[in-house]
Amino acid sequence: MNDNRGSWKCLKCNEKLAKKKTVFTYLGHNFSHEVMTCPTCGKVFIPKDLAMGKMAQVEEQLEDK
Amino acid sequence: MKMRLEDATSYTAKCFNGEPASCSYACPFRLDLRTFMDRAARGKWSSAYKTLSNAVVFPSLVAALCPQPCRNHCQRTQIGDEALMIRDLESACIRFAKNKKPVKYAIPPKTKSVAVVGAGPAGLSFALNLSRKRYLVTVFEKTGGWGGALREHEKFPEFDQEFTLLFSAVETDFQFNREIKSLEELSGFDAVYIATGRGGETFGLKDTLDDKSMATGKPGVFMGGAVCDMPLMESIALGTQLSQSVEVFLETGKLTELDRDADRIKCERYLRHDGEEKKPVVVPGLPDGYTEGEAMSEASRCFQCDCDYCEKSCEMLKSFKKKPHRIAVEVFTDMQGSTLSSRTLTREAYSCNICGHCKSVCPEAVDIGALLQYSRAERLSAGKDIPAFHDYWLREMDYAVTKGAYASAAKEKTSAKYAEAKLAPAGFAEAKFAFFPGCQLGAYRPEHVVKSYEYLADKYDAGLVLTCCGAPAYWAGDMDRFQKNIDQILKQWNELGKPVFVFACATCETLFQAYMPEIKRISLYELMAKDDALQPVQGYENAAIFDPCNARDDPEMQTSVRKLAEKAGTDLTELPEKNRCCGYGGQIRLANPSLYEEITKNRSEASDKPYIVYCANCREVFASREKPVTHILDMVFGLEPLTGVQTLQEKRNNSLEVKRILMKKLSGEEFQPEPNPWDSLSLVVSDDVQKEMDHFLISAGDVKETVFAAESSGEKFVDEKSGTSLACLIKPVLTYWVQYRMLDPRTFEILSAYYHRMRFIEDDE
Repeated sequence: MNDNRGSWKCLKCNEKLAKKKTVFTYLGHNFSHEVMTCPTCGKVFIPKDLAMGKMAQVEEQLEDK
Repeated sequence: MKMRLEDATSYTAKCFNGEPASCSYACPFRLDLRTFMDRAARGKWSSAYKTLSNAVVFPSLVAALCPQPCRNHCQRTQIGDEALMIRDLESACIRFAKNKKPVKYAIPPKTKSVAVVGAGPAGLSFALNLSRKRYLVTVFEKTGGWGGALREHEKFPEFDQEFTLLFSAVETDFQFNREIKSLEELSGFDAVYIATGRGGETFGLKDTLDDKSMATGKPGVFMGGAVCDMPLMESIALGTQLSQSVEVFLETGKLTELDRDADRIKCERYLRHDGEEKKPVVVPGLPDGYTEGEAMSEASRCFQCDCDYCEKSCEMLKSFKKKPHRIAVEVFTDMQGSTLSSRTLTREAYSCNICGHCKSVCPEAVDIGALLQYSRAERLSAGKDIPAFHDYWLREMDYAVTKGAYASAAKEKTSAKYAEAKLAPAGFAEAKFAFFPGCQLGAYRPEHVVKSYEYLADKYDAGLVLTCCGAPAYWAGDMDRFQKNIDQILKQWNELGKPVFVFACATCETLFQAYMPEIKRISLYELMAKDDALQPVQGYENAAIFDPCNARDDPEMQTSVRKLAEKAGTDLTELPEKNRCCGYGGQIRLANPSLYEEITKNRSEASDKPYIVYCANCREVFASREKPVTHILDMVFGLEPLTGVQTLQEKRNNSLEVKRILMKKLSGEEFQPEPNPWDSLSLVVSDDVQKEMDHFLISAGDVKETVFAAESSGEKFVDEKSGTSLACLIKPVLTYWVQYRMLDPRTFEILSAYYHRMRFIEDDE
């Protein structure tokens, strides 16, 4: 799915996605990261490689704290 | 209530990992023989000498004269070998050590003075120890030299040399040819030690001696050694112990009880040393003792006895390399401070199968699994748990105890056929029975529950209770949920007239035994094995029995399954180790996928024979590894073993199927579960995607719900190029994502499904 990330859009707003700093929270820790979101409604887009890659790594680190 | 340190450490209190070995407990000096032998075996003679001289005070003297009680407790003898030649090794060490220079301690001089009466080994040991602490020590000896009775010994020149060397590093005042006739002469000293040797002067104080503190009735006057009939080695060892308590006396005026024989009993604490190779004692080639090589080789016979049975045989303990006492301390420290403070044991706590194996191999039955289950419970109640580790199974449990649950008495009361047929086992003649199959057996194969129930209904007029025993809540540490489930089960049991529960799952039975002991229990396999009319069908000609971990304490269940398999004509092999957890226990799969992989692989490879199992979870683990496996009930009912693992949705459907069939049978009702609005969606899932979903425990239900939510709200992402959609569903613990393509308004091709545990905070401004 990382091949055509640029062609995704938010159906409701009919908007192309744009990068935006977004706050994440896990086990009481907060941190922010730039992810694709709908510029109009703010809906966050998490592709599979992000969820299973970097996000899973961070989750694991926080679980080990 | 807040956890106290002892709440955690009490679990491991009996663990003796890291404690001295049996030989050291037998030694009057508590010499650390493990360290000494380790250094000797590596030819590190100077450091071995340091270990030796720090403990025994006078190494040459001890090496020559110690009666070696340690050798009676050397664990080489456990496997029929001769004990290590300890004194010969001590002598060798003294000969080979290059650096024997006594250490000078850089501590400030003290002002208190101590008199020692008698320069025999007891007095010298005491004097040397206190002089090292820089007290003002004066030794009064009525003869012209030191050594007492040892002066007559043929090796005295050697001892004499050693005394000279050791006292050269301290400032002890020796007053030879000075006999003390009355303690009045010593009134200027702050403490006095009477060590006048066998039959020596006691100044009329012997009857006042307190043998705990070695203090006499006269304040500040102590007595010890041969004058108190103590053996030589104990007299020397006392010098060290008493010097410490006299120091306390000098500084505080308080007396200390010397527990000289405390722990001596631990010299009987032996390990098994299974599989250790025998090694003959090394005999010195020369009359004056070992050569360096001989000594190293003799020292290397030391087993380095320290109990590590649990760590050695448990993949989890091995991978984290933490000792039981440390684990207990970390269980405590992890509960201190704020949620942001760094915790150190989280992964371990959730990586334990809680299978009881450590307890079964521990000489003191220490149960690390129980400690870690306690840790999970404490974490959960303090909000310090990791919900994602157990969310899947807790949701399954919720389903099993609600939609999947059902209880009924036997359909119609017939006469107690089983009593007539002499089927009832001893103690159960008048009993009413109810089948408690647990939630996993029917999920894997509905026929097993249906046919087992039909069997029990026919033979025993059994009732039925379909629900979950609560193991997922127990393993998650969710003790509130677990207790609620117990209460519900007890309620049903009362309503059914307190029947004996018939179990098909050892995990259910173990939890019932521990938490609902009032419910009488018997295993399905025991009832079946007692039934002469029942003829199981051979599944495999040759097979190994894989006993589940939770059947460890149920020999009757183990025997019954073997009887059934043998009756079928199977040639049975026993595994090298019985009752190891297949990997499923404690639900560690999401918390530690690589450890889960390692454990399931090891268990699958424990034998190259196909397995006969009697736990649905064991079956699933082995089937997932493509290990040929059959459930004993396949054989009982003549069914072909299933291959592969049921998808999560299949398992859920199977559970409902069991309920549907048995409810119809027992109460004539049609079971119509309230459908979810997304149930009617059809999914097209490729094998690869299905595999991935099952690997990450994403059920078809989760996927349908995600698609349904997106399709009904229109809130989703679309990629016009590929014609696919991406939907997101935020559930309490996980956030699911599904990429799909609509084939028709109710059919969706699933291209991928994944989740993350962290949450994003959407900013919709």
